Amino acid sequence: MTALLIQLLTGLAGASTLFLVAAGLTVIFGVTRVVNFSHGSLFMLGAYIGWTILSRLPRDPGSFALGVLLTGLATSAIGSAVEMVLLRRIYKAPELLQLLATFGVVLILQDATQAIWGPADLTLPRGPWLRSAVMILGERFPLYDLILIATGPLILGTIWLLFARTRWGTLVRAATLDREMVSALGVDQRRLFTSVFALGAGLAGIGGALVLPQGSANLQMDLSVITDAFVVVVVGGLGSLTGAYLAAVLIGVLQALGIVLLPKATLVVVFVVMACVLIVRPHGLLGRPLTATRTDAAAIAPIRPATPALLWAAAALLVLAIAAPLIVGPFVLSVLTDITIAILFAASLHVLMGPGGMASFGHAAWFGLGAYGTALAVKSLAAPMPLALLLAPIAAGGVALVFGALVVRLSGVYLAMLTLAFAQIVWAVAFQWSDVTGGDNGILGVWPPAWAGPASFYWISLVLCVGGAILLRRALYAPFGFALRASRDSALRAEAIGLNPNALRLAAFTLAGSAAGLAGGLAAYAKGSVFPTTISVGHSVDALVMVLLGGVQTMAGPIIGAIAYTGLFDALLLATGFWRAALGACILAIVLLFPQGIAGGFNRPGVAGSVKRTI
Amino acid sequence: MRKTPMLEVRNLHAHYGQAHILHGIDLDIGEGEILVLVGRNGAGKSTTMKALIGLVPPSAGEITFHNRPIANLPPYAIARHGLGYVPEERRIFTDLTVAENLEVGRQPARGTRPAWTPHRLFALFPNLATMGTRPGGRMSGGEQQMLTIARTLMGNPSLVLLDEPSEGLSPLIVEQMSHAILALKAEGVSILLAEQNLHFAARLADRAAVIETGRIVWTGPIQTLLHDEAVRSAHLAI
Repeated sequence: MTALLIQLLTGLAGASTLFLVAAGLTVIFGVTRVVNFSHGSLFMLGAYIGWTILSRLPRDPGSFALGVLLTGLATSAIGSAVEMVLLRRIYKAPELLQLLATFGVVLILQDATQAIWGPADLTLPRGPWLRSAVMILGERFPLYDLILIATGPLILGTIWLLFARTRWGTLVRAATLDREMVSALGVDQRRLFTSVFALGAGLAGIGGALVLPQGSANLQMDLSVITDAFVVVVVGGLGSLTGAYLAAVLIGVLQALGIVLLPKATLVVVFVVMACVLIVRPHGLLGRPLTATRTDAAAIAPIRPATPALLWAAAALLVLAIAAPLIVGPFVLSVLTDITIAILFAASLHVLMGPGGMASFGHAAWFGLGAYGTALAVKSLAAPMPLALLLAPIAAGGVALVFGALVVRLSGVYLAMLTLAFAQIVWAVAFQWSDVTGGDNGILGVWPPAWAGPASFYWISLVLCVGGAILLRRALYAPFGFALRASRDSALRAEAIGLNPNALRLAAFTLAGSAAGLAGGLAAYAKGSVFPTTISVGHSVDALVMVLLGGVQTMAGPIIGAIAYTGLFDALLLATGFWRAALGACILAIVLLFPQGIAGGFNRPGVAGSVKRTI
Repeated sequence: MRKTPMLEVRNLHAHYGQAHILHGIDLDIGEGEILVLVGRNGAGKSTTMKALIGLVPPSAGEITFHNRPIANLPPYAIARHGLGYVPEERRIFTDLTVAENLEVGRQPARGTRPAWTPHRLFALFPNLATMGTRPGGRMSGGEQQMLTIARTLMGNPSLVLLDEPSEGLSPLIVEQMSHAILALKAEGVSILLAEQNLHFAARLADRAAVIETGRIVWTGPIQTLLHDEAVRSAHLAI
């Protein structure tokens, strides 16, 4: 019993730092409606900057507090700079582009951090007071954890006072409700947004510095904390500060108790809790349905059938693709196989994002489930290739059906955050469950049978992937596709004419999941192996970049995007050591220059409503 | 009769996405004048107001306010020049109290007129005086309409854009509303009023402008619009 209590307190201490990150995220979202992916990077920068400051200061409590505050000021300045340089330009862009742009910042900050502080984990030399403990029910409990437990409510109270009692807080709350009206009343939104961003970034930096005494500054903490923070913010209700605190406590305590009670299933416990909360309260514990943000978003241009010229070009390209093994060498052939797989991966995500109107930020989950499904079928069942490949879409589609049933009701940002969190959980399972998945070592030796040499496998991949993409395209011009687009444009009106939007969205979700799973199964054979990295956030973003490169509202988009991106990626990998930063810069360039995507840029009628004037 | 125009609008065009809504609006409003903008639903009354305050960026044309061009400024800068906007949908901050709603609108006083304070506004709208701590979402439509005007006045505007203030209100509240508007006029505040209720408008306005499919088709004294048979049948089609 005592052990449980101690564990509970440890959980509460962890909840405080999690709350610091989630509070900034939720406040920034409330006002700017931007889900700031780079918030975890500010947390990570807080840890590194905190390490630099604190390791130079005397090791007494006063200096520690001073150092943590200075860290907060530093990350606050960095966050403001990010807001002024980047986000200010994209407040009117679609939310997925905003999420993607802030992911570009994540990549750039990762490389910058590594370049400044090096790849090794940094730990802080701890003064005596950081090592002292108090006795609780006869057990030693770290004093520092008690301080952390108190920090959470203290920060919550301070922010609450700031919001309730100051003019700034009143303006922020008003802007959360209707930012356009606030600006019509003479309030400069830009300064308000920057100050909110500065506050959030400062909190994240303080959180990063506060974890130093118990852990280290490392390059993985940005993505791991942002995943937890997304779950906390969604469970608490987007924009709700108190909700974020409750959710942080709930998740923090469950994680801490889970380590003792169900050590293998910690991540699954968190996911189950999130699922339960969202089934009962779709907008989180204290959240409310989002009001429309009242920005004049450009109407979505309808998808038009391809022109004859485009069809002829596609046919010519297809003939060339079929003849390729007779012309090119083995290396180019393997790149071409990758491209066919990328096309199906991107096309399946496009079904969700374009016609489905569902922002998925964890599409690699389905790809990975297909890849692991195939690899496990080969390894444990000794399944022949056709059967193993058949299992890939079934495994991915089955899980997509269950997960989709839970989330398709949710609106854009919630869905994006939950798909990301789900993909992280799938990744963690693949990473941790080493008895079955081989953990970090992956599953090796998934080769095609002797009858399918490189050329034959390329043709199989070409038939399945291009065929799959064509079938997806066919589905979107079928009554199903029209109904899906109708529900995207207005769920209410679609319901009024007898459609069931949630069922349609679930069908699209499952279809896209299965198609991505098939791509994953083929990838397992193409590489001969499967690793957890196939499910990483980075891989989900690969798919997003392909679709956005090509343009969301064109059918040819994902195909053009997949070809362009696979080429770009290989070039970057060869040309530079800072490929993450280079990729991040490319993403930012795409978002800022082509808000409609590359292919989308060609068929924009007249002066379409691009980001004309940012406020 | 007319004083120096404080707001001059020339050839104003505006789009909603691809839809061309305003096709060259021309308007003048003088110091201390009330101009009523008359037109059926969809004629462009609200869009004219949104274009003036900058919420719908004008695609062409000139807007001069106190001798300064404001056509390409962001809304907050236009508001700070002294243009107040009262939207048709009221857009009260529902989670904020009455006092907080007023606080959001507060801007420094400009010119020689005394600054509006909650105290003075409660004298103008007595209904609001007792509900300083009530959330805006828990007020009646009439109270919300008064609050939205009061909130805009907190910015000390010299010209107020009033979009259909009598819409959906009971006759008693409409009566109070017209008293308040006349009190504002007595203070020297100019008003551009969009209105479908001509009886309400007739008691307040000096001049009328008729808007049809994004163009001003007639301007003149409100009494002429109401009583001249030829003008009536041409533009009001009653």
